[in-house]
Amino acid sequence: MIETFEEFVKRILALLFWFILLSPLIIFPILFLLVPIFGIDVTTVNEILTASIDPIKALKLVEELGLGPSSTFFKVVAFPGFTFAALVATITILYERKLIAKTQLRVGPLYAGRFEGFLQPIADLFKLLGKELIVPEKADKAFFWAAPILSLALGASLLAVIPLSPTIYIARSDFSLLIPFAIIGFSPLVVLIAAWASSNKFAFIGGLRALHQLAAYEIPMLISILGVVVLTGSFDLMEIVEAQKNMWFIIPQFLGAIIFYITILSELERVPFDLPEAETEIVSGWLTEYTGMHFGLLQLGVYIKFYVLALLFTLLFLGGWNGPAFLPPVVWLLTKLFFVISLIIFPRAVLPRLRLDQLIRIGWAWLIALSFINLFIAVIESSLGVI
Amino acid sequence: MNYKLISGILGAFVVGLRNVFKRRMTLKYPEEHLEIESGYTYDAKTETGSPGFKGRHILYTDKCTGCSLCAIACENIADCIDMVKVEGSWPTNPKNIMPQIDYGRCVFCGFCVDACPFDCLFMTPEYELSATDKRKLVHTPFQLAVFPEKKGNVKLIPDDRGAYHD
Amino acid sequence: MPNSVMNVVDQGGDRLVLHVGPQHPGSGHFRIIVTVDGDYIVDAKPDPGYVHRGAEKMAEYRDYIQNIPHLERPVIIDASGVTLPYVLAAEKIIGVEPPVRAEYIRMIMAELNRIISHLYWLAIYGIFLGHSTMFMWPMGDRELFIDLAESIGGTRVTFSYIVPGGVRNDIPINFKERALKTFDYFEKRIKEYEKIFFNNPLMAARTEGIGVLKKDDAIRLGITGSNLRASGVDSDTRKDEPYCMYKKVDFDIPTRQEGDSYARCVVRLRELQQSMNIIKQVFDLIEPGPVKQVLGGVMRGEPGEAFVRTEAARGTMFYHIVSDGDKIPYRVKISVPSFRNLIGMSHLLIGSRLADMPAIYWSLDYWPVEADR
Repeated sequence: MIETFEEFVKRILALLFWFILLSPLIIFPILFLLVPIFGIDVTTVNEILTASIDPIKALKLVEELGLGPSSTFFKVVAFPGFTFAALVATITILYERKLIAKTQLRVGPLYAGRFEGFLQPIADLFKLLGKELIVPEKADKAFFWAAPILSLALGASLLAVIPLSPTIYIARSDFSLLIPFAIIGFSPLVVLIAAWASSNKFAFIGGLRALHQLAAYEIPMLISILGVVVLTGSFDLMEIVEAQKNMWFIIPQFLGAIIFYITILSELERVPFDLPEAETEIVSGWLTEYTGMHFGLLQLGVYIKFYVLALLFTLLFLGGWNGPAFLPPVVWLLTKLFFVISLIIFPRAVLPRLRLDQLIRIGWAWLIALSFINLFIAVIESSLGVI
Repeated sequence: MNYKLISGILGAFVVGLRNVFKRRMTLKYPEEHLEIESGYTYDAKTETGSPGFKGRHILYTDKCTGCSLCAIACENIADCIDMVKVEGSWPTNPKNIMPQIDYGRCVFCGFCVDACPFDCLFMTPEYELSATDKRKLVHTPFQLAVFPEKKGNVKLIPDDRGAYHD
Repeated sequence: MPNSVMNVVDQGGDRLVLHVGPQHPGSGHFRIIVTVDGDYIVDAKPDPGYVHRGAEKMAEYRDYIQNIPHLERPVIIDASGVTLPYVLAAEKIIGVEPPVRAEYIRMIMAELNRIISHLYWLAIYGIFLGHSTMFMWPMGDRELFIDLAESIGGTRVTFSYIVPGGVRNDIPINFKERALKTFDYFEKRIKEYEKIFFNNPLMAARTEGIGVLKKDDAIRLGITGSNLRASGVDSDTRKDEPYCMYKKVDFDIPTRQEGDSYARCVVRLRELQQSMNIIKQVFDLIEPGPVKQVLGGVMRGEPGEAFVRTEAARGTMFYHIVSDGDKIPYRVKISVPSFRNLIGMSHLLIGSRLADMPAIYWSLDYWPVEADR
């Protein structure tokens, strides 16, 4: 049994040593044996071997293969695509725990990593990977395995058309504002699949309550951003950010920004709307039966959705990447994104939970009325030529 | 949308934000220990004690006479003091018996200290008494005679910057 | 809301019988059998007795002094507040008067315990409503008061500090400065609590108008403590039947007229401030002197009875001791405030929503261990 941290480090180093020692001894003969069999040129094999040691040659090789930093593959997978979003999501999880702890006058994660627990997400990852994947006996197996993958797919597909700066984007579209909201409209489906497949009566009730909540706040979310569309005249996110060069849209569309913010809190099931997660008869809502990496994938999907919604708020209301020219535009975007993420996390520390009927009444009655008033204000402003 | 709603929520946000910049209150045990000044003692002549922490007991074996009053006092409270035979010759202790305390049962009320008429059973500020074996919780008279080491190094200070351990 | 294990029993028609059971994180060891029609509760039967261990019977086998650690265990959070009436009754039987300084010190300990108990209550109320910060802040600030109590009593919870004849030891020398510094800090913290919790419109939406206890109902059902004062009845045992030098200090009794859960919260908050006020006045009135009457020998009571009523943190506590001249009491009868408030709980729960159950139930400050003894 591994008893101490030093032993663990020793074992990892031993594994690494043997791997580094043996892998060339095994890989090189195989590579050179493939030359006569498949007729690969020896220079190609030499290139691959030098690329594994020399970073500049490796970069050139990767670009030749079409996976370089300006290729679509890189954009989709690394930056500004999935890996970047997952990184922001995991940093958000740690940041949330530390911010809430600081407000409550306590330390958050402290011991993973020398300084204030900054390696806690890695510790969490290893913990989730090490747990057993329990599938309940009466659960619907296909849907049970599908729900976390659907959640992750939903989160990842939202990243496709959102630009991070005039030059950093994966794809451009004339309707790049509508596409993310259309995909977010699928999240009730994910909740329903996860709740139904659990075959747990109480998780199902929790899932139904979550559905009520998500359905109640769809309409205000969509109408509150229509004001921005009216002021700009286009659905393209790039043009919306371009139109905010002189004045951020939060000033003429203040009411819309507040409504959008409240619906973000509800969409992500955060306090004060986190009733599905904290009910009497429901241990953890619709994700009760998910353990280990299933749970990890579900949460990753939710937190990538968090990142996307915060990004949309920044682009729509806070002027996106507009800012003084001494810093690159993407840095301004990330600063504003940080601020919006803090704003979404903070109500968890200062507000209590609402009851279900109060929550739904706010969504259907108050917010729809206010969002229509906001649209009316936007039409008036646009006709007066405020922008 | 009345004024009270908006000002209430904004007030809550402002107070939360102000507390983000205060010092954190957590005592980082076991790297930090709270400082405890003294243990509880009792003066048999004036029949009053002096304030102090009620932790592990300390037995002054050179003054104990084996009168068993501590065991009798504890009998109906926690029944954790047993008088056991000790080796050696003790000038003040003709019966050669001294108290042994079972910390699995002790409730740290201190009435045994109040009962001792010879000022030889007091309490010390040591509170880390856990053991992995239940038999190790029974401290013999000679284990009780050892004074604990002083470990405390922080105090809880309420301040303008928040209450913190320093 | 906390989790619970439920055994759902169908009762025909739309009604469900739910057992909100003893394994209820946060509610303690206590079962309520709730009949629910849709979302509204039609019947609520509290089922106490899960932790009954016969404390009153066990008290008949223990000395007057050995009873003190035994009888402070039921209400472990308010330890000095519940041994005080026992010791006052025991003193009447033994026939001994404590010195004046001891009575002032007893008041200090009782009020400190009231603050500690109310802060615990506030923390759990915050977490029941889903407000995690309102759980951490009172628990953290409670540490300051527990430190103060520890410097006098020696332990953090069960002090066994008040004995017949006085108190066991004097207060330490620098206690007054530490206490005043803590009170200054805590007054500022109360303002922050008000801003984040009591003036928070979402908290008001969860507690205003919920569980309204009207004045005549409160008097008819025999509710005690802060619940009574929140319904408009101006009654406090410290003013009605003063004990222990309470006549010499000047304090208000906070009352509210509405009688809903919000009023109960605010009344307890104001009681915290009044307790600090009392302790500050005691510091000015206290004089040096002995803290314990030297008795010598075993305490033997005269044959007879004694009754004492005091105001513990949860309400009025009443002790009745019968003695037949021996060194152990013949009968000890304890009347606890939580058990009296239990009937108020079932009265308030009927007609309210199931989702409001924690808000109502904990606002009555029911402590299961105390009710079961």
